[in-house]
Amino acid sequence: MTGSAAGSLSASGPRVVMDEFSYDDVIVRKFLVATFVWGLIGMLVGVVIALQLANPAFNLGLPYGTFGRLRPLHTNAVIFAFAGNAFFCGCYYSSQRLLKARMFSDGLSKIHFWGWQLIIVAAAITLPLGFTQAKEYAELEWPIDIAITVIWVVFAINFIGTMVKRRERHLYVAIWFYVASIITVAILHIFNNLSIPAGPFKSYSIYAGVQDAFMQWWYGHNAVAFFLTTPFLGLMYYFMPKAAEGPVYSYRLSILHFWSLIFLYIWAGPHHLHYTALPEWASTVGMLFSVMLWAPSWGGMINGLLTLRGSWHKVVDDPILKFFVVGITAYGMSTFEGPMLSIKSVNALAHYTDWIIAHVHMGTLGWNGFITFGMIYWLLPRLFQTQLHSKRLAELHFWIATFGIILYVVAIYSAGITQGLMWRAFDETGRLSYPDFVETVARLMPMYWMRVVGGLLYFTGMLLFGWNILMTWRKRPAVYDVPVIRAPALARRYEEPHEAAAPTGVFARFTSMRFHRDWERMPLVFTVLVFVAIAIASLFEIIPTFLIKSNVPTIASVKPYTPLELYGRDIYIREGCFNCHSQMIRPLRYETERYGEYSKPGESVYDHPFLWGSRRIGPDLAREGGKYPNLWHVRHFANPREITAKSIMPSYPGFAANNIDWPVIQKRVQVMAMLGVPYGNAITQAESMAKTQAAEVADDIAKSGGPAGLQDKEIVAIVAYIQRLGRDIKGDTAAKAPVVAASGLPITTGGHK
Amino acid sequence: MSLTDFMSNAGLAIYAEVGMVLFFIAFVAIAWWVFRPASRKRWVNDAKMPLDDTHPQKPRQHED
Repeated sequence: MTGSAAGSLSASGPRVVMDEFSYDDVIVRKFLVATFVWGLIGMLVGVVIALQLANPAFNLGLPYGTFGRLRPLHTNAVIFAFAGNAFFCGCYYSSQRLLKARMFSDGLSKIHFWGWQLIIVAAAITLPLGFTQAKEYAELEWPIDIAITVIWVVFAINFIGTMVKRRERHLYVAIWFYVASIITVAILHIFNNLSIPAGPFKSYSIYAGVQDAFMQWWYGHNAVAFFLTTPFLGLMYYFMPKAAEGPVYSYRLSILHFWSLIFLYIWAGPHHLHYTALPEWASTVGMLFSVMLWAPSWGGMINGLLTLRGSWHKVVDDPILKFFVVGITAYGMSTFEGPMLSIKSVNALAHYTDWIIAHVHMGTLGWNGFITFGMIYWLLPRLFQTQLHSKRLAELHFWIATFGIILYVVAIYSAGITQGLMWRAFDETGRLSYPDFVETVARLMPMYWMRVVGGLLYFTGMLLFGWNILMTWRKRPAVYDVPVIRAPALARRYEEPHEAAAPTGVFARFTSMRFHRDWERMPLVFTVLVFVAIAIASLFEIIPTFLIKSNVPTIASVKPYTPLELYGRDIYIREGCFNCHSQMIRPLRYETERYGEYSKPGESVYDHPFLWGSRRIGPDLAREGGKYPNLWHVRHFANPREITAKSIMPSYPGFAANNIDWPVIQKRVQVMAMLGVPYGNAITQAESMAKTQAAEVADDIAKSGGPAGLQDKEIVAIVAYIQRLGRDIKGDTAAKAPVVAASGLPITTGGHK
Repeated sequence: MSLTDFMSNAGLAIYAEVGMVLFFIAFVAIAWWVFRPASRKRWVNDAKMPLDDTHPQKPRQHED
């Protein structure tokens, strides 16, 4: 039933229109099942990649199953598939009830559900195949990005339409959080993913270097904020009072929580780029706003926990409340740690280490996971109209998952701090204590195995969760009861209640915040205002980043990659090498001592996309070019452990077997030229130039005693790319020789737009 | 003078401090608004919204 009108005679006489309608729980049940299925798959992939770091044999020698390709699959699956479906599940359930209205359109609900699942399937296929934009949490290529935009707009129309036809006058704070999430995710997704296609599943970001890094982490941090935080806060503000059977501790605190978060979060992204080539002012803004986030985040945490006032005794017997309490506590811990990590001096130790991975998993396993589990255990009897199959099993799930989180984070916090301290350790002679990077990797192995155990425990909890869902579902009635709700129809005009007459005069309206009360019953205006708040805050950071000349001082010796190097760079992207190797040396002594001269903004002006990375499972590669001969790289790619016994890098024997796809090189160079990269005559001769350089590299490998006949193989392209890294700034003419040699003319290097 | 020149000469070193002051003002204003006694009653009522899935707290049209 979608709604019908029925007359009613009230006691006092006048006849008012009553609507009769029912809530659409079919769509909620679908999202619930999808949450579990994708959660199980995403976490299984997480366990697999944890095993791969503990022992590289688990890469299985398959090109589709290496850490570099599976890590984005894990993050996308748990963020967008597990957490995404959990948000939609709770959002569809709570919004209908908070707004006293069925969803705007059952058809749009179905399109949203099936469209989102198809997108996830597309991600699950394309990521292992190596189709990636190389942007964290935005890896999916342009056709899928367009599909995400369309489906998100469908969701937004459905949600806003429901707000418009609601029967509750004012919007509850959970709805505010949903609105902010929907609007902001749309803005972030569209602007971070702007790119020029260079093939069916290949594109280049329109941004380069510093600007691309800025846009990526404006997106990346706010993906955490507006996909994993604000939607789940909305869920918390609905489901926590439900589970505790009492109103939220302080509704006023929730208002403060909402506006402070919305205002602050959008600025915080640059804290992911401390000490990099990002301008100092942007880095400081990111740090300051991150530190200020402490206040509202903890306000929200306290508000959630104190909702249990007078009900704490229930926690002992109620697994749902246990999940909520630990979930909200994890939110508090993560939001304490996040601002702390954004402080530059702390960040200098933690950045690129596993500390960040531990921080993220405290938030996702604890906050997102436990809020989801608590919510679904609460929903199961209501949606399947029967009793939960086993409360004891839910209790067991809680304890197993809790121990899993503890094992995971203790191990990885230890690993992260160990890494950070070993990287920066100097001996009494002033030299690095651990100059061989692999020493710092080998030390982590016990912790990596401990993580595997922790992850397996959490995954076991998922299996119990699934069993409970299945068995509860099996006890459902033959036909679901669909209660009919009766509520007064929408009045065209709002009448002020007697007890709160509107203040007169502009000043009085302002000081009484009357305007805000008005917004709360005007969903379209409220939505537009949230959009304006987010957009203005974003532009305040973005515009200076793009316009200030001194942000990216140009370096005359920095030239574009040759066509073959560009192709090799695309292989580097395809294999997800940036998931383990950074290309950004920070101006810290222990980094310059280990890797060489610190990275300059002007060095990555032709990098579409930037590949600075966010983690060092392997060493930084910003100055890797020329460190080793070509043959060293050939052997290293074939089997890293032949060169470095303790290496955990996957083997890439396919590089020496796979042929270069020569025709695509021309197209890719042309797209780069469209983006402003000064490619000169390579725009028309890219393929022949690439072949010339490939022959030179292959010849050098053969002369050094390596295999012959590699001139058509991928290995020469990726070796050419690796050998180019960091050489331009040294004025190393050999680095750009192939471009000049092929054409006989030097390339032109005009200003990069 | 182009926008690029303008931004380049704007001296954004104080950008973070300005942002912090703006946030602080907004924070105090919102805190004052939500915690003043005059608005207590409405917040108490609004907080009850999730507890009843069938009856609107404030229907758009009263039955009486």
